[in-house]
Amino acid sequence: MTSKYETEPKGYTMTTVMQEAARCLLCEDAPCSKACPAHTNPAKFIRSVRFRNVKGAAETIRENNALGAICARVCPTERYCESACTRAKIDGPIDIGGIQRYVTDMERKENMQILHAGKENGMNVAIIGSGPAGLQAAATLRQKGYGVDIYEKNAKAGGYLTYGIPEYRLPEAIVDYEVQRIVNLGSNIKYNVAVGKDITMDDLKAKYDAVIVAIGASAAKTIPMFEHNICTESAISFLARAKENKGKLDDLPDNVLVIGGGDVAMDVVTTLKKLGVTHVTDMVYEEFSEFKASKKELEGAQKEGVTIVDGYVPTDVRQNKVTFKHRKIDSEMTITADKIILAIGQKVDADGLNIDIQHNEIPFRKVRFHTKDPKVFATGDIVDGDKTVVYAVQKGKEVAEEIDRVLGGQDND
Amino acid sequence: MIKKDLSIDSLGVHFENPFCLSSSPVGNCYEMCKNAYDAGWGGIVYKTLSPDHFVIDEVSPRFSQLTKEDTPFVAFKNMEQLAEHPMAQDLADMRRLKKEYPDKVLIASIMGETPQDWTNLAKLVTEAGADMIELNFSCPQMTSHTMGSDVGTNPELCKTNCEAVKKGTNLPVLAKMTPNIMTMIPVVKACLEGGADGVSSINTVKSITDIDLDNKVALPSINGKSAVSGLSGKAVKPIALRFLQQIRSAAGLEQLPVSGIGGIETWEDAAEFILLGASTLQVTTAIMQYGYRIIDDLTNGLMHYMDEQGVDHLKDLVGIANKNILPTNQLDRDYKVYPKIDWDKCIGCGRCFISCQDGAHQAMGWDDDKRLPTFDKSKCVGCQLCALVCPVGAIKLGLVEMKPGRKGDPAKVDASTFQLPNAEN
Repeated sequence: MTSKYETEPKGYTMTTVMQEAARCLLCEDAPCSKACPAHTNPAKFIRSVRFRNVKGAAETIRENNALGAICARVCPTERYCESACTRAKIDGPIDIGGIQRYVTDMERKENMQILHAGKENGMNVAIIGSGPAGLQAAATLRQKGYGVDIYEKNAKAGGYLTYGIPEYRLPEAIVDYEVQRIVNLGSNIKYNVAVGKDITMDDLKAKYDAVIVAIGASAAKTIPMFEHNICTESAISFLARAKENKGKLDDLPDNVLVIGGGDVAMDVVTTLKKLGVTHVTDMVYEEFSEFKASKKELEGAQKEGVTIVDGYVPTDVRQNKVTFKHRKIDSEMTITADKIILAIGQKVDADGLNIDIQHNEIPFRKVRFHTKDPKVFATGDIVDGDKTVVYAVQKGKEVAEEIDRVLGGQDND
Repeated sequence: MIKKDLSIDSLGVHFENPFCLSSSPVGNCYEMCKNAYDAGWGGIVYKTLSPDHFVIDEVSPRFSQLTKEDTPFVAFKNMEQLAEHPMAQDLADMRRLKKEYPDKVLIASIMGETPQDWTNLAKLVTEAGADMIELNFSCPQMTSHTMGSDVGTNPELCKTNCEAVKKGTNLPVLAKMTPNIMTMIPVVKACLEGGADGVSSINTVKSITDIDLDNKVALPSINGKSAVSGLSGKAVKPIALRFLQQIRSAAGLEQLPVSGIGGIETWEDAAEFILLGASTLQVTTAIMQYGYRIIDDLTNGLMHYMDEQGVDHLKDLVGIANKNILPTNQLDRDYKVYPKIDWDKCIGCGRCFISCQDGAHQAMGWDDDKRLPTFDKSKCVGCQLCALVCPVGAIKLGLVEMKPGRKGDPAKVDASTFQLPNAEN
């Protein structure tokens, strides 16, 4: 039997997706489409579903978003398209993510090949990192006829999609499928190659017409008092282990304390519960009114029975005992746990890449995506803007457009 | 719970309520009819009996449906013909039903091939205890051209068969009409001349619901082939109401007893048929989809409607809408009425704008910044398409104006009937 950790929620059927699509008001100048950071145009693909043209719907999604099946599952739609949905003024927004998942599932079942490589223009681009921004940049560049090599330091592509987001939210098979599409476009992924270590930045600059740094924020942040605590693991380390082992972790105790209140923290606590941990306590810096995690993920965690305490900061740790103080009221509590997981954010590890990083982003420049080196571009989470998959996709598209503008490849379009 | 008298007399027969099963798969044997009576149906038109020499041999599968968005059974197509039990068994079932349910109405539906068949069948069902006989001149999927809807489009044949029936019975006789005809009136009149006492209308509409796009065959596919056959369900209701009006507005037929059939699902559908002149009602498709239990809301809903209307007897509602349906050339064309937008209700979806731009007269505009429709009265013709497409009922009928050069007082235009079907109040 598939474990809870490995089970995705049920998707729509033809009948139920039609019910949802029929709720859509098919607005003039639809606000949902304007609110999609990746311009995925939900109004158009929902209209296609309503008029029973699922293949047309798949084209609309895929042509705008090389990771359409992934975004369908992990995009915090409540913050983007669904927040703008006119139907919310009657009852609730259309489940746009759910409809997108149905359409991309059908695209997969029908084995549709929507994106095609452009005529080769003789120029080549190296991309460092195969997270969502790197993958989308590769897809866009391939469609424009650039040769693309992706350098991935890990054994699998996808970055946080593969090593972070839990299986029940984003099955690895879906990521593999989307990566394969991009490989099928002619992108070449070089696995287990760390730029700055196995190959130098100068080598890349010599070999390619442009280099894109799409490394994301892959290192865990910590708090000094936890640095040498043997009971503590970082969220990204825990999530990666869970994903790699399909949830089969044999070192899980019965009482885990998690610190952090973002989407990553929600992934951690929900995963712990799904893996059978009885007591999962999440201490969160923000109060609920200022919560960072998406409502959907918070609700998922609450549904699993996670104890979430808001407004507390850790003040002391002794082995497995952590003392917290409320930020605003006079309140203190000490929690003893068998394991502590820190989910307080990530930072950029750009060692050996010779690229300026300040506060986990490249310095702001008037023309986005440029670095101090005219040949080196940046994209994804190290560029200003939201740190969500859908934003990474859009930044991936935009950095490819910018490179195309600089290199003049559009002459071949 | 509300209690109103739903009983009605038609052709000398007393119905405890006007709701009957129509002659179809839903009343095909003793057990089914018993269950329907127990559920509360007032009458049953037992599935059509035919002479034993006409062999009923059905196809499989035999149904298909028309859908829209997520709505199934918008219309329903069937290829079933008549009762397929040996006639003796059906007659025994009818006898037993009448004995156990003496106060419920049992109508026998029959279909013969020759006048002699019709006489014999009439005799047999009369002996079995039926209260009334319905003549099936209208089944569109018979395998013989001397039976079914081909007969129902031929006034002479209908008259001859009615005469034959009358030789075999003294019971009241309803002739069941086919809608697959431009006008029913010559057929209705021929049936009455032949001795029929009233009509049932309508039987199913000849149809093809859909084509299997891969196999290039209509549905249902019977070993790779299909055929035109009868359509029923909600989508045929407008056609049924139109024929009902045609019959009841024909000279000399204004008081003709009619059993109304065609897409009845709700008490509202039922009330519509009654207002247009049906005194009894027949239902199949909704039962096939939902079961006999729909009778609960048909009867209860109709009682509440009578209560709202201040009516104690159902007969007082029969046909009172006929006079308000006129030939198009007799309608008042002197005024127009503009839409009125309730800005508190408007959610800014722009559907009125889209429909007015592409399907009407470009009176509705669109303010991009405010995301709200605008209205140019000078272009508006008062068609009210905008009100029909509004998903929140924010558009109502507003200002009434006489057309240039026309006489009349806008205030005297009867605004009480300005009810739009989707307006949520």
